[in-house]
Amino acid sequence: MSAVSDQEWTGRDVTIAQIEHELAQLRSDSMDMRTSVMTHIAWAPPEWQGAARDTLAGMAERHPSRTLLLFPQDDERDALDAEVSLQCYTHAELQRHVCTEVIELRLCGRVAQAPASVILPLVLPDVPVFLRWRGEPPFGEPVFEQLIDVVDRLVVDSREWEGAPACYAKLVEVFDRVAVSDIVWARTLRWRRAIAERGGGRQLRVRGPIQESSLLVGWLRSRLGHPVELEHTDADRIELAVLDGEEIRAREERPSASDLLSGELDRFSRDPIYESAVAAAL
Amino acid sequence: MFVIFGASGDLTRRKLLPALYALAYRKMLPERYAVLGSARSPMSSEEFRNAMEEAVRAHARVEFKQEVWDELAASTYYVPTEFGDDHMHDLVTEKLTELDREHGTEGNRLFYLAVPPSAIPMLIREIGERRADDGWSRVIVEKPFGLDLASAQRLNQEILRYFRENEVFRIDHYLGKETVQNMLALRFANGIFEPLWTRQYVDHVQITVAESIGIEGRAAFYEKLGASRDVFQNHLLQLVAITAMEPPIDFDADAVRNEKAKVLRATEVDAVVRGQYGAGYVEGKMVPGYREEEGVDPESTIETYVAAKLRIDTWRWADTPFYVRTGKRLPRRETTITIQFKRVPQSLFTHADGLRPNVLAIHVQPDEGVSLGIGAKVPGQGMTVRTVNMDFLYGGAFRTGLPEAYERLILDAMRGDPTLFTRADEIEEQWRIVDSFRTPWADQVPDFPNYDAGTWGTDEADELLHRDGRSWRRH
Repeated sequence: MSAVSDQEWTGRDVTIAQIEHELAQLRSDSMDMRTSVMTHIAWAPPEWQGAARDTLAGMAERHPSRTLLLFPQDDERDALDAEVSLQCYTHAELQRHVCTEVIELRLCGRVAQAPASVILPLVLPDVPVFLRWRGEPPFGEPVFEQLIDVVDRLVVDSREWEGAPACYAKLVEVFDRVAVSDIVWARTLRWRRAIAERGGGRQLRVRGPIQESSLLVGWLRSRLGHPVELEHTDADRIELAVLDGEEIRAREERPSASDLLSGELDRFSRDPIYESAVAAAL
Repeated sequence: MFVIFGASGDLTRRKLLPALYALAYRKMLPERYAVLGSARSPMSSEEFRNAMEEAVRAHARVEFKQEVWDELAASTYYVPTEFGDDHMHDLVTEKLTELDREHGTEGNRLFYLAVPPSAIPMLIREIGERRADDGWSRVIVEKPFGLDLASAQRLNQEILRYFRENEVFRIDHYLGKETVQNMLALRFANGIFEPLWTRQYVDHVQITVAESIGIEGRAAFYEKLGASRDVFQNHLLQLVAITAMEPPIDFDADAVRNEKAKVLRATEVDAVVRGQYGAGYVEGKMVPGYREEEGVDPESTIETYVAAKLRIDTWRWADTPFYVRTGKRLPRRETTITIQFKRVPQSLFTHADGLRPNVLAIHVQPDEGVSLGIGAKVPGQGMTVRTVNMDFLYGGAFRTGLPEAYERLILDAMRGDPTLFTRADEIEEQWRIVDSFRTPWADQVPDFPNYDAGTWGTDEADELLHRDGRSWRRH
């Protein structure tokens, strides 16, 4: 598929009714097919906004959805600013255009403290709601707590967090409230496959990010049911994994950030193996 | 002659005149007509026209065209009245006679009673005693029609002293919405749905009439009604009736209303919960609780939310619950009828955690249209199945603006077609249903507030479905 057109509307200090009206207007101006299989929300503090947009580029083609980009920002105004667009693609096989909706919301001032009340009117009925939280979530704070109560799945990338594996303790506490995906977990997949082929193990040595290393050893501990010692040295990606002195060779894969997020958007229910791995990583 | 009593009110300004203007714009008004507004407020016809021009500019669905307005304004008049003042009503009657002569309307009169419920019986008498001998007289009565079964019966008796049933148009503007009428088309113009529209295939039905606004300064009105009388008794139960009715033998007014009345007669309330909103966030902003709204009793026990499990004792719907809810200060304005079908008897697919039962949703507002959730294979390796929605959007299919409900209903009343209006027996059945749970409420003190503004209502409402192993659909 290839992008063919974007139609958009921008408003300052808007209401949800205005956003709905403009969306309806954009849709009625377009003869294209609207498709949504989910509502995809991204919470992106200012330092993450560029990355959030980059990751979402091309995502609509794989996961046609209504996308809500939530950008909290300090502002003297307590207001909601919005940019609403229809992003349309040519679907070669269908020989027609397919459109998805992107709503970029700037939550200004105190509006940023009540994001659930902004997104609830905008989530699509009957389809799952995914929340991609950029950066480390403020566990226990109202902003985070209210959002996880209104979504089906929380998607994080714990590489964006400080202090692994201790930081996972608070993540474990939300497992009973919302299904969780960690993109770090997806990054370990090829290593888990390779380790599973070898089997067993009491001691794991990893040269790679602490987050991947922690989840790998947590996974081993939880699957094997006995302690596994982790020896870790830092690197930007997993470069080496050695189990009980034997080097593990994993197939080379370098998925993009979009690929990794896309994979998580195909999951709907809780992943008990991941949850056990996180708990055992602590 | 279109006569509006309560012409200085909000309904006239926001709905009635804009609807008349839209009809004029579409050249749907009769060749000879006049509009007479009447209310307590003293003003001249000129002042009334000026106020209505402003209202039309602000609220009309179609663009403002000066020549269209000028034509409508040239036939628009105003006479002040004091309800219950015989002399003043005589003046209204004289004016009507004069306008009949001027505009050639031949004594045909459509009275719209946009007045508080307490004024209706008196107004009916005043109008009824002065009915013209020539032409026809019809009366449109706004909701709420009574405050309980007994008062509705009294009001029906009073109206029927002066008007025949086919001259009475009890308006429920929901029935004028295109998507509500489309429900009839969906069910009875398509062979594929009706065979499935039964207890054998439908697990349950959900109907939500949600408003995100509060009481918008109408404390005096709302404190007398609450959600059960303001919305449940009329809009919500009419949606139940249209969803559950048997096919009428034709689209004649009485054939349709007979079938709706049968459903209402067979409807009982299995369980009901009520709520009142406290302070909370709506669209990111803190809004006050109901008891903090201006003009509301700080100890008010008026409900702003009602959810119920209804039972319809017919062959078609036995053991198929209808879960209904309505409320104010919910997260979004939405009216949806959802038919949830039964699950397949056996799941063949191991990777199907994204698969839900089929759901047919009729979106009455906003996003008018129909969507059907169906299971589909995710493209690629393996056999992963998930639910996708097939959407039929009204605007996208017909690419034309939907007429306002009031346009359709006023036009139907002018033509004498009561199909989309509520008959006396329907109204009384609706009150019977509402009284069945309101009467016990009189002896109970609710623990209000019990839901936050900006949420989907009370925990008890969730429990209403959870104990049946179901949940409210996500909106």
